[in-house]
Amino acid sequence: MKKWLSGSLAGLLVICFSAGTLFAATIKIGFFAPLTGFAAADGASAKNAVMLAVEKINKTGGLNGNKVELVVYDDRVNPKESVAIANKLIERDNVVAVVSGSYSTPTRVTAPIFNKSGIPMVAAYAVDPSITKAGPYIFRTGFLGQIEGKAAGEVAVNLLQAKKLAMFTIDNDFGRALSKGFHARVKKFGGKVVYEHAFAIGTKDFSAMLTKVKELSPDLLFISGYYEEAALAVKQAGELGLRCKILGEEGFDSPKFLELAGESAEGVIITTNLNRDDPRPLVQDFLKAYKAKYKMAPDMVGASSYDAFMVVAGAIRTAGPDSKAIRDAIAATRDFEGLTGSIARFNKLGEAMKPIQVQIVKKGAFHYFAHISDPEIITPPDK
Amino acid sequence: MLAQQIVNGITIGSIYALIALGLTMVYGVLKILHIAHAGVYAMGAYLGLWAYCMVPNLFVAMIVAMTLSGVAGTLIERLLYKSMLDKSRIVPLIASIGLFIAMEEAFRLIAGPYVRAFPAHFRQKPWIFGPVRISAPQMLVFGVTLALLALLWWVLTRTRMGKALRAVSMDREMAEALGVATDRIISLSFFISSALAGAAGVLVGIFYNSVYPTMGDIPAYKALAIIVLGGLGSIPGTIFGAFLVGISETFLIGFVNIPLPRDALAFIVMIAVLMFRPYGLFGKE
Repeated sequence: MKKWLSGSLAGLLVICFSAGTLFAATIKIGFFAPLTGFAAADGASAKNAVMLAVEKINKTGGLNGNKVELVVYDDRVNPKESVAIANKLIERDNVVAVVSGSYSTPTRVTAPIFNKSGIPMVAAYAVDPSITKAGPYIFRTGFLGQIEGKAAGEVAVNLLQAKKLAMFTIDNDFGRALSKGFHARVKKFGGKVVYEHAFAIGTKDFSAMLTKVKELSPDLLFISGYYEEAALAVKQAGELGLRCKILGEEGFDSPKFLELAGESAEGVIITTNLNRDDPRPLVQDFLKAYKAKYKMAPDMVGASSYDAFMVVAGAIRTAGPDSKAIRDAIAATRDFEGLTGSIARFNKLGEAMKPIQVQIVKKGAFHYFAHISDPEIITPPDK
Repeated sequence: MLAQQIVNGITIGSIYALIALGLTMVYGVLKILHIAHAGVYAMGAYLGLWAYCMVPNLFVAMIVAMTLSGVAGTLIERLLYKSMLDKSRIVPLIASIGLFIAMEEAFRLIAGPYVRAFPAHFRQKPWIFGPVRISAPQMLVFGVTLALLALLWWVLTRTRMGKALRAVSMDREMAEALGVATDRIISLSFFISSALAGAAGVLVGIFYNSVYPTMGDIPAYKALAIIVLGGLGSIPGTIFGAFLVGISETFLIGFVNIPLPRDALAFIVMIAVLMFRPYGLFGKE
């Protein structure tokens, strides 16, 4: 009864929104993200952005006259959960393609399942390299952790001319991949890492580590982590009177980082994929529409998920609702204009190559600082 | 550097002490592990934030958070634990874990999954003594913790209520036989301990400028390690244990770059102590 009611309500809403458009059929696209648990904020950003994309498509006539339905599941960043979700999406929901709006751990385990069943999946911002190695049906629109780490190293030693470096690394696959790339790039240009400390997700107190860094007085401190930890580290650095430059990565990219770190965020530089000062109307319209609908500014997690969904939607538009044809269409994508930059093509492995954005915090907002498009840094590996 | 690290360690120790004290008091009177205590702590942070948004005064926010958290704690005891006391001890423990999870999800549904900033700003400049800096939020943490510990000491040692509470904690049946209204005393201990947790929630919210649904996750098990370390049910032991863990965490991270996660340290200290003193530092058989 309840299901029937909410179903018909949703149907009613869709009819209202589509303003009389009659859809020929419904195309189901699967989506999973952490909607509860510690990563619920990222899950909400991802889902909100994708819902915006779904709405936009359905309002303008759907995909070749077919309505798009997003089948959403909550994985709680738990691989056991996401395996069950993958099987449900394939067997019960009969989705034609899937978008992962989740972290590496839950995404990684689903990749072989989708690949085996011939359902294409596009990962939005999961950074683990093994995801796309699952097979030809798996793609990624985000960066690999190691490439972003390399770009951060480039920013540190060449753009900012910092040679004596300290690092706080978040202790998971994301942090370790970033650290590896950062070390490689820094070493090549004669930078020296004088201090590196790994910290656990959810760490709140950085004062002991920051006191140590203050004593070493490096030129730059590179912090990897998500906005919760990042904001606390930056805020405490300000309170302790640490003077060196602070460099972060896409985990910092959230309006919440700015809010929680307060004045200490001023001058922090990050590598990410969303350029807020991008003049393309696509980006500016998204920023405006998101803010109007959800009463907060979007972040890179949302923008990345939006792009991943649009890649799938674009492929369905050219290939129709057949999974095999959709896969081929994704693989044949050329010059896709996304919020997070344009993707020239996917490589053999299914990795996208796009420039890395460098943003700086000025007067409490992210702004353009530089971008890195050196192919030596941003080319993803193809095996 | 050394002095600064001691200041850092004492700040963290103060927060641990406020959270763990309530847990040890509840264990003292009822002999149950009250995991949902960490949920009350997160609730205190949300209540303080809500009160502060209504009336931007830290003192008012603190009083509101402490009172309402205290009432919530008493309700948990009355409605949940009371009917389970004659059952095996695993029953209230599981109920407590269930309640904790339910509380976290309730916070998420009501306040949203995002981290909320605590909009308290301090104009006070940090105190600088040579190489040591004490920031305004740190001063607030020290001041409030010290005041609450002094108040608790006064209540427990100088009032009839406090003496009755200690008597119930030592031997409930004997206290009851001597005419102590144990029911009321148990509720009182839940009120005090939950109010302390609420205060800790507000302090953490301000100090780290963040309030979020799962903020009780780490305190839920770290407070457990601290009270076992101090001796289950022992109040001085818990305070000592909290500062010991706070300072050792800071030192181990600041001076020795250990590869272990910081939150494992409390347990390592606990195991080290239990090897020599199986009932904890201040515990009795």
